[in-house]
Amino acid sequence: MNSIERSWIWRRRWTLTAVAIPLLFAAWWAFRPEKLWVNKKVSEPAPFSSTSDPQPLYTGQLEGKAHQTSGRATIYKTPGGEKDYVRLTSFTTSNGPDVHVLLARSDDQNLTQEIVKGQLDSVELGPLKGNAGDQNYDLPTSVDLQKYNAVVIYCERFHAVFGVAKLESF
Amino acid sequence: MIRNIKIALALAALALAVGSLQKVHAQETKAKTLETGAFHGNVHKTSGRATVYQEEDGKLVLRLTNFKTSNGPDVHVILVAAKDAPDDANFLKSGTERVELGSLKGNEGDQNYDIPRGTDLSKFQTVSIYCERFNANFGAAPLEKF
Repeated sequence: MNSIERSWIWRRRWTLTAVAIPLLFAAWWAFRPEKLWVNKKVSEPAPFSSTSDPQPLYTGQLEGKAHQTSGRATIYKTPGGEKDYVRLTSFTTSNGPDVHVLLARSDDQNLTQEIVKGQLDSVELGPLKGNAGDQNYDLPTSVDLQKYNAVVIYCERFHAVFGVAKLESF
Repeated sequence: MIRNIKIALALAALALAVGSLQKVHAQETKAKTLETGAFHGNVHKTSGRATVYQEEDGKLVLRLTNFKTSNGPDVHVILVAAKDAPDDANFLKSGTERVELGSLKGNEGDQNYDIPRGTDLSKFQTVSIYCERFNANFGAAPLEKF
């Protein structure tokens, strides 16, 4: 039996080869398995010359906690050596007493609540300039943005978290 | 008298220098950032950021930064008329409308794609890295207003 099968394959070896080669080629073409370990890296420049403008480093959407808050917080790096800053855009929150802009750790448990009970580990950026509209806040010269990776709108008087933006790299 | 002329000349030269500097500055093409979003995709490990810029002449450009996905056959960059897209979504089957932006230039690195004029960004809200051969979404970035 075995020898008959072998001879059947043997007799048709050229037909089988002729069928197998296109089949293998089609399979290769469809799946391109070598691409699993071959990377193609590109590095195109930005579609505009922007070296003289501040560059966004991190950005995130503001989400309301104790009060409705929305908009975007973006951290910009200035090429000229001036201070880096946080810019709020499309921003609205509720007006309130002694409201500040802070940087905090996005994984801080205090930020999951509306009212902070413990001590919020944060970096002060200044009192909120307005409860609506685009605005900038300078960052202190040495602030660890890997650690303080969230922008918080915070009412100091009542320890209320108005809104939080978790920052993601731009 | 001669001193006055010298001062005047120096001032004129300075003004010229400043003027030419400003001219150079004005020649830089400025672009407005319209929308941005982060890529997600676990099956084909896609990460990075997609940002839509509008150039001065109104042209829209999609730029991918810190971008990484898995290499594959016939992978394209498309915009889809959806709020977001899950891994391996099949837009052919779901009949989701799309706008073709071109073949993926590389599976890693910063890259730009022109968006056809007249594309309605309020409708096409998600960038997808899409394998046309197997109709599978490798990764998606829902765009939000910047």
